[in-house]
Amino acid sequence: MSADKDEDPRMYGIKSKIRVVPDFPKPGIMFQDITTLLLDPKAFKDTVDLFVERYKDRNISVVAGIEARGFIFGPPIALAIGAKFVPLRKPGKLPGEVISEDYVLEYGKDCLQMHVGAVQPQERALVVDDLIATGGTLCAAMNLLECVGAEVVECACVIELPDLKGRERLKGKPLYVLVESH
Amino acid sequence: MQQALQKLASLSAPPPPIIEARGRTRLPPPRCFSTAADRRRRFANRELSLSSWMATSFERSNGAKKGAEAARDQHMESDGGPDPRLAKIASSIRVIPDFPKPGIMFQDITTLLLDPEAFKDTIDLFVERYREKNISVVAGVEARGFIFGPPIALAIGAKFVPMRKPNKLPGEVISEEYSLEYGTDTMEMHVGAVQPGDRALVVDDLIATGGTLCAAIKLLERVGANVVECACMIELPELKGRDRLGNKPLFVLVSSDI
Repeated sequence: MSADKDEDPRMYGIKSKIRVVPDFPKPGIMFQDITTLLLDPKAFKDTVDLFVERYKDRNISVVAGIEARGFIFGPPIALAIGAKFVPLRKPGKLPGEVISEDYVLEYGKDCLQMHVGAVQPQERALVVDDLIATGGTLCAAMNLLECVGAEVVECACVIELPDLKGRERLKGKPLYVLVESH
Repeated sequence: MQQALQKLASLSAPPPPIIEARGRTRLPPPRCFSTAADRRRRFANRELSLSSWMATSFERSNGAKKGAEAARDQHMESDGGPDPRLAKIASSIRVIPDFPKPGIMFQDITTLLLDPEAFKDTIDLFVERYREKNISVVAGVEARGFIFGPPIALAIGAKFVPMRKPNKLPGEVISEEYSLEYGTDTMEMHVGAVQPGDRALVVDDLIATGGTLCAAIKLLERVGANVVECACMIELPELKGRDRLGNKPLFVLVSSDI
């Protein structure tokens, strides 16, 4: 589901603030840059508000944010809905005991880690990132949470690239985005 | 696995924080998710870890050295004593020995993020300090500065500018190199994100030697911004990062001598 379709008056401001940078990080990629959204305090606040309005009454106890841009959107949402924030990080960044999940990239693979003990069984979790492309990262995040017995209620992103069909890679879990970019 | 999870999930009660008479909350003896054996090892290694960390050679800043008086002013203080929220904040930070390498006592703020009230109090303490100061930019240093900076920016109505490792920011950037214990690193900021005359706050989770914050200050000043203050949750005062910021004030919530 996309809030884009709901035509919330705040959506135009949010969508217009995302800038597209061609050929980054490599030729042929049109990079969706959310940093310009962050330069507009009202648009940034509206973005967070849209997520908070959706999740505040859903008994979410954990917001898991994916390094690094998920760290920008996840904590404000967590703070507003009274949930804890759990950072999901690249290998070697989290101190202490972690669990890991490998996932496939276009070329090669990567790994996402979460702290042991951060999330308890039965917790209701939201996964947050700035963008969903192929869905590989979000899928790894979901696996980490489910591995410790949490229930992933939804994945939430600012932007979706629907042509890459990431939505289908979420093992049937719902995805909520604000903006679709083709 | 399940047993291990349960064991780690039941945290022992934290020792109370040490509240100094002048109002600065010092972190208590470290509290870990680890075993009693780890804690014994940690205390035994405490002196060694500090001296090995301090063996790093770095240049002192050329700016005015912060006196003890000024340093005290930069910590949470009021005439009525320490803010009551600080005790909970300090006690929710955990210390991990020997991370990322032997001898380092790593100050882990992720456990604070697991406590919604403590996390909210942390943000509130910064917001209360900065909301009347006409801050137009909050610059957060990757990656843990991305956790604390945006909530502060949102609450005070400032823009948020991420300061990143090389090649993460798309489009045109400016770069600043800074020293590490061994070698150098580079920090980048988007061209056009910050305007001349912008009043800026730099946010990170912790200040150690001050090299990273110093690089952030330089990037902002190069584009004509006025860095009003640097704000961190934790300071390691023995590493004298405060001195490296020159004449820029530093505000921290918690000081840690380990």
